[in-house]
Amino acid sequence: MSDTSYITISFEDEIPLLQAVRKLRENKEIIKDVLSPFPVHGLDEALSMKRTRIPVVGFIFGALGAVLAFGFQAWVFTVSYPLIIGGKPFFSVPTFVPITFEVTVLFAGLSMVAALLIRSRLKPEITFTPLDVRITDDRFVILVDTPDNDASLERVKSILSGIQTVEIK
Amino acid sequence: MDEQFDFKTRYRNILLIVLGACFFISLGIILIAKPGASRIWANVLLNNQYFLGLSLGAGFFLAIHRLALSGWHTLIQRIPDAMTTFIPVAFILMLLIYFGMHHLYIWTDNTLADAVIEGKKGWLNIPFFFTRIVLYFIGWIAFSWLMRQNYSSLMTSSDIKYYNRGRMFAGLFLAFYAITVSASSWDWIMSLDARWYSTLFGWYVLIGMFVTSLAFITLMIWFLKRLGYLKFVRIDHVHDMAIYMFAFSIFWTYQWFAQYELIWYGHLPEETSYYITRVHHFNVIFFINLGVNFLVPFFGLITYNSKRNLNWVALIAAILLVGHWLDYWLMIMPAGAGEKATIGVFEICMTIMYACLFLFIVLKSLSARPLVVKNDPFIKESLNYES
Repeated sequence: MSDTSYITISFEDEIPLLQAVRKLRENKEIIKDVLSPFPVHGLDEALSMKRTRIPVVGFIFGALGAVLAFGFQAWVFTVSYPLIIGGKPFFSVPTFVPITFEVTVLFAGLSMVAALLIRSRLKPEITFTPLDVRITDDRFVILVDTPDNDASLERVKSILSGIQTVEIK
Repeated sequence: MDEQFDFKTRYRNILLIVLGACFFISLGIILIAKPGASRIWANVLLNNQYFLGLSLGAGFFLAIHRLALSGWHTLIQRIPDAMTTFIPVAFILMLLIYFGMHHLYIWTDNTLADAVIEGKKGWLNIPFFFTRIVLYFIGWIAFSWLMRQNYSSLMTSSDIKYYNRGRMFAGLFLAFYAITVSASSWDWIMSLDARWYSTLFGWYVLIGMFVTSLAFITLMIWFLKRLGYLKFVRIDHVHDMAIYMFAFSIFWTYQWFAQYELIWYGHLPEETSYYITRVHHFNVIFFINLGVNFLVPFFGLITYNSKRNLNWVALIAAILLVGHWLDYWLMIMPAGAGEKATIGVFEICMTIMYACLFLFIVLKSLSARPLVVKNDPFIKESLNYES
């Protein structure tokens, strides 16, 4: 099932996984990917991954939502359909605040979900075969981007000696 | 691990000299410029409430983390622990209000024929007022003392039973605190506007109090790290404090707005009186309060990098401390000192005097024991914490 051009290293726990990632990177091995059943704290740092830009999306769309909600209410209550409610002026900011707040949150939240789905190309009809079904449960795997021959296998094994691995192949 | 804060004689002297200088300047202003009794007493009340709030919020910080089995804060918990030692001093200072009761609270005037105040006589009368002060402080002092004792037990013994016992004390403190902070804010602040009431007031004060405590804890981390202490405290811990300040500033604004909007919308004369005084006579401070306590932390701490820069976070914390002083000022002064209330040399001197006293007590208590509670079961988690 596994792609022959990678070496796969499996772990049962996240602590040896983190140790192995650090050690492999120290030894200039190229890590193709790390598969884990849940987000591992400190893993993105160990892999020197760039920080996600999803908060930027959230901020931009949140600001857009705030402007749209406020502008729409201001337009409705002053131009389109001015109503006297409780003797307040047509343009009264405090009444606009709750809806502006809600729309801001809605836009920020939905835009971040949408950005995540688009960036990671998650579509409804997507199918994939896991490398190992246990990755979705209790198994952690590192994929090392190196030709799967005896020499590189020995090299990886010697790098990881002393770290608790389940199998290296 | 056994590093201990050294409260050098130089710091003691600086604090005592500034305290003394501010005391004599304030005394001079009282004797020469005669600011009026109500202004003097309103200042005493304002600073009592502000600095008592700092220590109570610190107790709240300790209690919620202990109760929730939190691990990240273990390395910094001696700072709020030291802050709670101010509560007994605040007790004495609060009892001083007795001499200024008639200048502050109109409900102490028995000749006043006011139906609304008459209806509140069951709660707002001088004997019961002081009974309540004593009750609040007995509880706060007792529970915070128990929590502090628990920390010193954790320093000498590694027995887990102390940790579990501490959780019980934290729960007791929390339950007592939630009720009494609301009630004390009605007593000391809300009853200044004796005809007015707001059901959200206690909650609003509680959140403001917690924000000030968080800001002060952050400033203390900055201060101690600058002096070379707290080497184990990393930027991840600061990051969490910044998240806290960010979140609770937004929550404070939520409370502020929830109180404001309902009163604005309902437009009932007995409810709007509070805001009419403040918006008409203290317009600038009213909007500065909202700007400083909401916009500054919101935009100042919104990005990841800004939360991970200790100097920047400390600057925002300092601004929040001033901002919440202004918030208390707006609650107390317009009612306590009347429409002529200002922020003058007298207010600033009084506050610096209190701040020196507070810092002196906190730093003295901080220097009494090591900075890290080394037998806390979560110490390892805190050492390896990544936010």
